[in-house]
Amino acid sequence: MSQSASQSACSASLPPPNMSAEQAALVEKHPCFSKGAHQFARMHLAVAPACNIQCNYCNRKFDCSNETRPGVSSSLLSPAAAVQRFAKVKQRIPETQVVGIAGPGDPLANPNATLATLKAVGQHDDEVHLCVSTNGLELEDQLPKLLEIGVKHLTITINCIDAAIGEQIYAWVYFNGRRLRGKHAAQTLIDRQLKGLKLAIEAGMLVKVNTVLIPGINDWHIAELAEELQRYGAFVHNVMPLISDPAHGTYFGLMGQRGPTDEELAQARSDAGVSMAQMTHCQQCRADAVGKLGEQVNVDEIPDVVPAELTVAVASRSGEYIDQHFGYAKSFDLYRIGKAGVEALPARDIEAYCRGQNECDEDEAQLRMSRALHTLEGVDVLLCSRIGLPPRQALQEAGISVNTELALKATPEALEQVRQQLLEKSAQGSCAKECG
Amino acid sequence: MALRITRSCIGCNACKLVCPQKAVVRDAHGYAINAHRCDECASQPNPPQCGEICPIECAIVDNEGRALNPLGSLTGIPCEQEQVIQLTELAGHA
Ligand code: SF4
Ligand code: SF4
Repeated sequence: MSQSASQSACSASLPPPNMSAEQAALVEKHPCFSKGAHQFARMHLAVAPACNIQCNYCNRKFDCSNETRPGVSSSLLSPAAAVQRFAKVKQRIPETQVVGIAGPGDPLANPNATLATLKAVGQHDDEVHLCVSTNGLELEDQLPKLLEIGVKHLTITINCIDAAIGEQIYAWVYFNGRRLRGKHAAQTLIDRQLKGLKLAIEAGMLVKVNTVLIPGINDWHIAELAEELQRYGAFVHNVMPLISDPAHGTYFGLMGQRGPTDEELAQARSDAGVSMAQMTHCQQCRADAVGKLGEQVNVDEIPDVVPAELTVAVASRSGEYIDQHFGYAKSFDLYRIGKAGVEALPARDIEAYCRGQNECDEDEAQLRMSRALHTLEGVDVLLCSRIGLPPRQALQEAGISVNTELALKATPEALEQVRQQLLEKSAQGSCAKECG
Repeated sequence: MALRITRSCIGCNACKLVCPQKAVVRDAHGYAINAHRCDECASQPNPPQCGEICPIECAIVDNEGRALNPLGSLTGIPCEQEQVIQLTELAGHA
């Protein structure tokens, strides 16, 4: 994960005098923007693995601060899984008031995943504050959508406003279909960052700027940078020390670039403090951080949120057994399963997802998949006899769990089995709550 | 004509997001390029998009096995240093 993203969440003590009442309220509850908000907790959802730039303090092969290699699946939390995670954490830590997306890549280089996740979290809980940390490259393009889903807190990592410095910090920038390098890359990034900063502030967002302090490269430039940030109206500035342990395998780490001493960091913060409120309570959290600042919570130890009811779709050819391949189902029988029992709902028709091997042109398959997803809206579990891997993935990404283990069982028997599992889980869930 | 993804891939999903042909697929084994769909980006003006955005050296190769982003071309880390990391990585995984 990039250092900038990992260090993204956190804040200041002195609010600027010209702040509106609405903005003051935004500051108050965000643990990363306000010292007083530490009774509130925040959660980062790691749904954004792709990045569009390479910073010399980041090694894409490692999960920066802890060196675990981001495996294909662990770094890819689907939006549906992310929302589940949020629901789970919110139940255990009700003070979770802030949900952010900070990586492990750049959230706005993964716009669909980022936007879908934030939107779903917002729908689950309309009080929660949504925030995004970005390098700013795609901010201008994505800003309207961020505003539409109610994102009001933004963190942009801006390390310099001078391309001659930037070319020492950024190895490359992917923009408009090309990998740019050198000064041109840095200038493109800086221009886009400042444009995005301006537009976000004009739109009423509360913007924090992160700067990684790199001795000999941007330390002498921090005061000038802070002055510019103030001119634009950034809310708070977070000057963070470069972390350059060679074991992390970053360019800076391997090339012997050292991080700042405590004195150098204090000096840079006081230089920047002439123009910008400085953030002092940052704990430099990770892209998947959960909890109050300075406190770690292991999400996997929190029991899953067990719903009271499940909506189950059944693919059945005979009408009596779980005997239909998902791809050939023309309709699904729907049931609501709860503690009390099983209730049949009106069946739903779809155009069959797959019309046989030869006709399975991929674009058309995609179209049919989206129809299938539409038909299955609100469904929690799908029971069918068989299903291909791509549609299984697509359904799971949409939050529908697919079960083929009950294939060829009689439908009532299968539904009863699902109900028993639900009952068992809720018994465990409440026990964990009482005993844990 | 088609590019391929090697075992160096870290699964960052970037190539999948930018491929104009929707040729990059992810399955249980990781990322791969569908050879029927990939036209090496011949139909558009920019260089192969997957190769332009991929952050990992040697993760994408052409059909002769040549890396689009050879060692040392992306991070700026000189090859010897890079190789040392790869060796320690291997050791760690053994
Ligand atoms: S070369 Fe172009 S078409 Fe082929 S996989 Fe890469 S991005 Fe897709
Ligand atoms: S961009 Fe490179 S590292 Fe990322 S998924 Fe594609 S091939 Fe793998």
